[in-house]
Amino acid sequence: MILMESPIPAGRRRLLFGGRPVLTFREEASRRNFIKGSALVGVGATFVAYTASDQTAFAQGSGTDLEILNFALTLEFLEAEFYTMALQNNVVSGRERELVTPIRDHEMAHVQAITATVQDLGGTPTEKPMFTFPDGVFTDRAMFLETASMFEELGVTAYHGQVPNIQSPDVLAAAASIAGVESRHAAVIADIMGGNPFPAPFENSRTKDEVLNLAGQFIQS
Amino acid sequence: MQRRDLIRGAGTVIPATVAFQMLGAKWAFAQDGDFDSPIDVLNYALTLEYLEAEFYRQGNSADLLQGKDAEYLRTVQRDEEAHVMALTDTINKLGGSPVPAPKVDFGDAFTSRESFLEAGFTFENLGVSAYLGAAPALFQEKELLSAAASIFGVEARHAAILGNLLEKPAEGGVYMGATETPKPRDEVLQAAAPFIVSTVTL
Repeated sequence: MILMESPIPAGRRRLLFGGRPVLTFREEASRRNFIKGSALVGVGATFVAYTASDQTAFAQGSGTDLEILNFALTLEFLEAEFYTMALQNNVVSGRERELVTPIRDHEMAHVQAITATVQDLGGTPTEKPMFTFPDGVFTDRAMFLETASMFEELGVTAYHGQVPNIQSPDVLAAAASIAGVESRHAAVIADIMGGNPFPAPFENSRTKDEVLNLAGQFIQS
Repeated sequence: MQRRDLIRGAGTVIPATVAFQMLGAKWAFAQDGDFDSPIDVLNYALTLEYLEAEFYRQGNSADLLQGKDAEYLRTVQRDEEAHVMALTDTINKLGGSPVPAPKVDFGDAFTSRESFLEAGFTFENLGVSAYLGAAPALFQEKELLSAAASIFGVEARHAAILGNLLEKPAEGGVYMGATETPKPRDEVLQAAAPFIVSTVTL
């Protein structure tokens, strides 16, 4: 199959929040699990602060369904909180607000569904991290939309990166049905901000190497 | 992975009824017997993509759209044509025979902007559900599964934007809930049948 370029230009990915961490985990173990998950699915690594020892975590990803689900759960926590705060701050109005409100509801539903799935599989759902969003992201419409676009496109590539790693058909079913909704979100946000809702005929996924390239600048070595 | 290895999965048994409960949703995935082989799944997808590509070719030639509408729908056509090419290429590489393009008739879909977009909206949401419904039939073929998923996501983008161009309600129009809903093969066939005039195996 033909694989197309990432919809997000590399330059924009690298400059995300100027490299400042967005996610702060209360426990070191949770943070390391998230980074391990990032390697498995190929995204998200730029959201967290790095230490030199995290390079080891990349190599240790074993990719169980529970690890994949908990990684997805962290991304959904991030998105749910992001949209909740954005709507509380009325950063968009009118039709735009009408379009963004269900996105928040979906992300919250995804958090609940993934949490329940992890529990059904006998696992422990990952804790909700503390988030530090950049100044102005909930008051400046353009900044909000650009950040939302970043999150949604990352979410899409995260789920697609997981597809070949998932071991249970049930978990695949859940993940795929969520992934399609994230694609809808990504397209709508792109449309609202005057971007391209259809950047390529095929959704992209990210590899471990790409993540290491992206994350390299944040790793203290 | 060798191409040979992909073909070896012919006759892969799909896990029996997938009764996964999430958000109270019932999954209508491919059942045993829905598909004979991975190539069968790819040909099923190819027929739908042929249908869509021809739909947009005719619709975009009817000069019904302007500005952003026209620009978006040209891109959607490009995507569907790329899907046709990719699926054909993959089936050939796997040693299968790609099904021919079906003969189609879209009735009065191209009489107005609204009728064009509305029919496209229906096709895209059908495509989303068809891919999701067939996904478990490719579960053992990770390369094909990833490829099909990457098409599925783009169909979801099309569906959402067509819904938005039609100014449909956000929920239940632009979005179809917090999770996509799969459709089994017979339901998809039933929905697509009115537009297909030649006898095809869908």
